[in-house]
Amino acid sequence: MKRLVPVSVLRAFAVLAFGALAITGCGKSQSPAPPAAPAATAPVATQAAEIVKLPEIPTHWTNDKPIGSGAPGVTDAQLLAGTSDPKQWLLYGGDYSNQRFSPIASLTPAAVAGLQVAWIFPTGTLGQFEASPVVYDGIMYVTSSYNRVFALNAATGDLYWRYDRKLPDDLRLCCGPVNRGVGIKGDTVMMATLDSHLVAFDRLSGAIKWDVEIANYKDGYSTTSAPFVVNNMAIIGVAGGEYGVVGFFDAYDVDTGKRVWRHYTMPKAGEPGADTWANNSYEAGGTPAWTSGAYDKDANVLYWTTGNPGPDWNGDDRAGDNLYSDSVMALDPATGEMKWYFQFTPHDVWDYDGNTQVFLVDMDYHGKPVKALVQANRNGFYYILDRTTGAFLQASPYLEQVNWATIDAKGRPVVNPKASPAEEPDARTCPGNMGGMNGAWTGALNPKLKLVFIPAIEACQQFAKGIPIRATGQPYMGGMPVTQDVNEKTAYGDLNAIDVATGEVRWRYKDVDPMGGGALATAGGVVITGSQDGHAIALDAATGKLLWKFRVGGGVRSQPIAYQTGGDTYVAIGAGNWATIAAFQGGTVNIPEGGTLVVFKLPHK
Amino acid sequence: MNAGARNAPIAAAIVALCCALGACSSGESPADRFAKDPDAVKRGKAIFTGTCGAYCHSNKKDNRDAPYLFDCEWLHGGSDEQIHATIANGVPGTRMIGFGGKMPQGDDDIWRVIAYLKTNRETCANAR
Repeated sequence: MKRLVPVSVLRAFAVLAFGALAITGCGKSQSPAPPAAPAATAPVATQAAEIVKLPEIPTHWTNDKPIGSGAPGVTDAQLLAGTSDPKQWLLYGGDYSNQRFSPIASLTPAAVAGLQVAWIFPTGTLGQFEASPVVYDGIMYVTSSYNRVFALNAATGDLYWRYDRKLPDDLRLCCGPVNRGVGIKGDTVMMATLDSHLVAFDRLSGAIKWDVEIANYKDGYSTTSAPFVVNNMAIIGVAGGEYGVVGFFDAYDVDTGKRVWRHYTMPKAGEPGADTWANNSYEAGGTPAWTSGAYDKDANVLYWTTGNPGPDWNGDDRAGDNLYSDSVMALDPATGEMKWYFQFTPHDVWDYDGNTQVFLVDMDYHGKPVKALVQANRNGFYYILDRTTGAFLQASPYLEQVNWATIDAKGRPVVNPKASPAEEPDARTCPGNMGGMNGAWTGALNPKLKLVFIPAIEACQQFAKGIPIRATGQPYMGGMPVTQDVNEKTAYGDLNAIDVATGEVRWRYKDVDPMGGGALATAGGVVITGSQDGHAIALDAATGKLLWKFRVGGGVRSQPIAYQTGGDTYVAIGAGNWATIAAFQGGTVNIPEGGTLVVFKLPHK
Repeated sequence: MNAGARNAPIAAAIVALCCALGACSSGESPADRFAKDPDAVKRGKAIFTGTCGAYCHSNKKDNRDAPYLFDCEWLHGGSDEQIHATIANGVPGTRMIGFGGKMPQGDDDIWRVIAYLKTNRETCANAR
């Protein structure tokens, strides 16, 4: 089908509408407008009841009209340029260093309050709307919960093509039906799916180019992150840390969908690190890789992070450090071979996935130039590593409340014994299992101000330990967090502005709800994010002063972007949360679910 | 056939054997006997906490899609034997798999979970 709306469906609806009118006899007392279907061929009521069937609702609308500017496909050079070209936003993190920094200087503290709604687009789905849109050639590609992907006119919101993934009803999801966006290269747009496939589309027509299975979802796998495109490969990792999976991340050839390499996140028997998993527990040790990575183009090094070992809250049968869970790894992008690793939370029993956004930043560190990798980890600490060697430089708390551990001189946690899960827990432990920051959303970095902006949850929990029963494809968690602060209604949120080279928190913007939306920083000195009570928010990047807020719908869980097209400047931010996760975090739950993309435009002076 | 289904006849046979041996003569189920043993209830709680309670069944009323198990409303029968069958065999078409044959200490662990549920349920007019 090459039309946006299949004609057969329109006809079917017209017949259905006329049939319904005839059957219900509405015409006897009313004078409704005649339906579009030819009256001469309209069936009588009894016939209509027999021949009219509900049309099958399409799930894929392609495009056969010229769209875009005629530009060729996305090149490696354009991916390397990242957001330095304000007409494009090609990567989840904006650029390969993941800074989510827009060079648009006109988005200033003075101007941002003048943002006006340009267009709004509904996703038609419930659940968290976590995507970061991609913009190229005047076209926006955005995904929604339940794996819909839309190609839209970036200036008007007009729909070019759409694909709704037909998903099975027995998905293995831990935390909602989320997707965080597409990857793009050449004329190919790619989306990973909740049933663990990677699907490629022609960027102009929306036709499927290939569809490959990453893993059997029935074994506990799902994929939620945006494919990370490097050197004509789409790199994507799996979720499933709550299902006892064997974690990995893959590289796929963008042109063919053929898998180039797979990197398992845990060692197998006999491999280095296998002795960090007692009882061969790496066979169901989780350690997923469900977020996007970073890439140092000069060194040609890929950075990827991993999630929690399983079972989450009972580590008795997996004694040891559980490599390479909760870690960051440097890898050869051509082979997936690991160069070095750093583990943030050895033998994690709190669900502190180590896979929050990593930022690559060259900095002056105590008077010396350092090519650094920094991360506000889910465990509540902000880390600075030397990304050329993996050497630990320092860690410091970025939250107001961190008590599960301190970090020693080598970067290893010194765990507070009261913080470990217990059968009858009574210790309020901070942060809770969601973090801190979380891999489900982004931060941003302003290289001029040398500040990292981290939206976070301030909510502590008690951790209950139990007996896990292992069954393939089933939850395997070994305990549960007791949401103490949420129950006591003391959970809150903040956006933390962290000095990139010292870890000092320069300012905090506080919100009554835990924060769970992503961040965008602009060269004009603004930070844009969103709140779980449904507002887009703009802050002064230097001070944290609230500059502007606007009701965009439900709770904001998306990753905002900025771009220019047709000479105008736009900011896009999605709204829509999942009540279950909002309740678990202590956020607003009384706003109805439903995804909405709101795009603002900066008026001309 | 899943493991739970395979073990359904075994579970039924165990129930029948228990009754034949007199354990049911007073209307007591194995869960009732375990309910009198604090260590058994404690183990039932640990299994519930570690396997049933994190993202599926909650131990407090909230808006999860999995049923809350401490009230007196049962979708698949509320007698001890019916609850046992649900745990052992699962519920087709749902995320509830059968745990028959998967528990570390066999069928007794299922009864211990039921004992934990029974000893912590809310007050119900017709509760057994």
